[in-house]
Amino acid sequence: MNSQHLAMASVPKQEWCEPYDPLTALMEGTIFPCLNLTFQKAPIGKSNCKTSSSMSDMAQKNREEMMSTLGSISFALNDLTLYLDTHPDCPKGLALYYELLEKRLNLLSEFAGKFYPLTQISMITGEYDKNQYGWSEGPMPWEGACI
Amino acid sequence: MFAYEKRLQFPVKIKNTNPDIARLIMSQYGGPDGELSASMRYLSQRYTMPIKKVGGLLTDIGAEELNHMEIICAMVYQLTRNLSEADVKKAGFDAYYIDHTKGIWPQAAAGIPFTSLEFQSKGDAITDLFENLAAEQKARTVYDNLLRVIDDPDVIAPLKFLRAREIVHFQRFGEALEMTKETLDCKNFYCCNPEFDKIKNSPLDKF
Repeated sequence: MNSQHLAMASVPKQEWCEPYDPLTALMEGTIFPCLNLTFQKAPIGKSNCKTSSSMSDMAQKNREEMMSTLGSISFALNDLTLYLDTHPDCPKGLALYYELLEKRLNLLSEFAGKFYPLTQISMITGEYDKNQYGWSEGPMPWEGACI
Repeated sequence: MFAYEKRLQFPVKIKNTNPDIARLIMSQYGGPDGELSASMRYLSQRYTMPIKKVGGLLTDIGAEELNHMEIICAMVYQLTRNLSEADVKKAGFDAYYIDHTKGIWPQAAAGIPFTSLEFQSKGDAITDLFENLAAEQKARTVYDNLLRVIDDPDVIAPLKFLRAREIVHFQRFGEALEMTKETLDCKNFYCCNPEFDKIKNSPLDKF
């Protein structure tokens, strides 16, 4: 693989590099430090979902924290999935994949039980009140609440 | 099939109304190198991809591009939701407002409507993978250009995230190209079209 030929381009295969923690990965846009090639002219953009200390509503604060964890675990899975699509035999990638999948499933269930369901499956896996429809609960994602 | 999950892949929480920025960012919804175009490109190409793993990668990246489209739309929505009548008159948003009010509609920054002419599904694995490598680079340049002219930190954070994704996707399409090359005759990669010609004892058969 990766040998050079006339009239053909090649891209070297990525070697495993120790991933960022999930929250850093989400802020950087990849779990892999070796693929984090930043643009020097880009201004600094603060994470826009930090929980404000002045927030009086504790439920809102807890929701935001849990959503932030869920978002970063889910993103790490998104990025790892693409890696495994081209590296299906990588043992380190696979171990992390199953670890994150389980965390994500549990977080989705917990979020549905405490707040509202993000997926229809989590209405069953989470402790959700079966007497209500539920799917229409919670703000829509584009409304900008960190929810 | 696709199923909805009620959250964004990257959080968008923009405080300040800014129709000028909204019009620029909209290009990554309906523009030539936008996320809608990216998603349709990969999700269209995957059916005839000869290598199953590459079809799988196209599905996963094509689905991620839908997440990115949603992030861009959420940004445009939040930048314009509190638009006043004065904003509409003074900002460069007036022409858009006449046709769409505050509705979200896919167009390029210069007002050209979204069109499938912006992407290709050529039915040749090598050609399509090069199309995709180029597409990721073009989108990265658009994000570079946006990051150079925008200074609202609420807007910059998601744009930097989206830019980083273009580079990761480029790497994965490069790896998909290598996987595809392995199945072809390296003495002449162009002796046939692996999506059209049936080759006897093709290494593709094992995939």
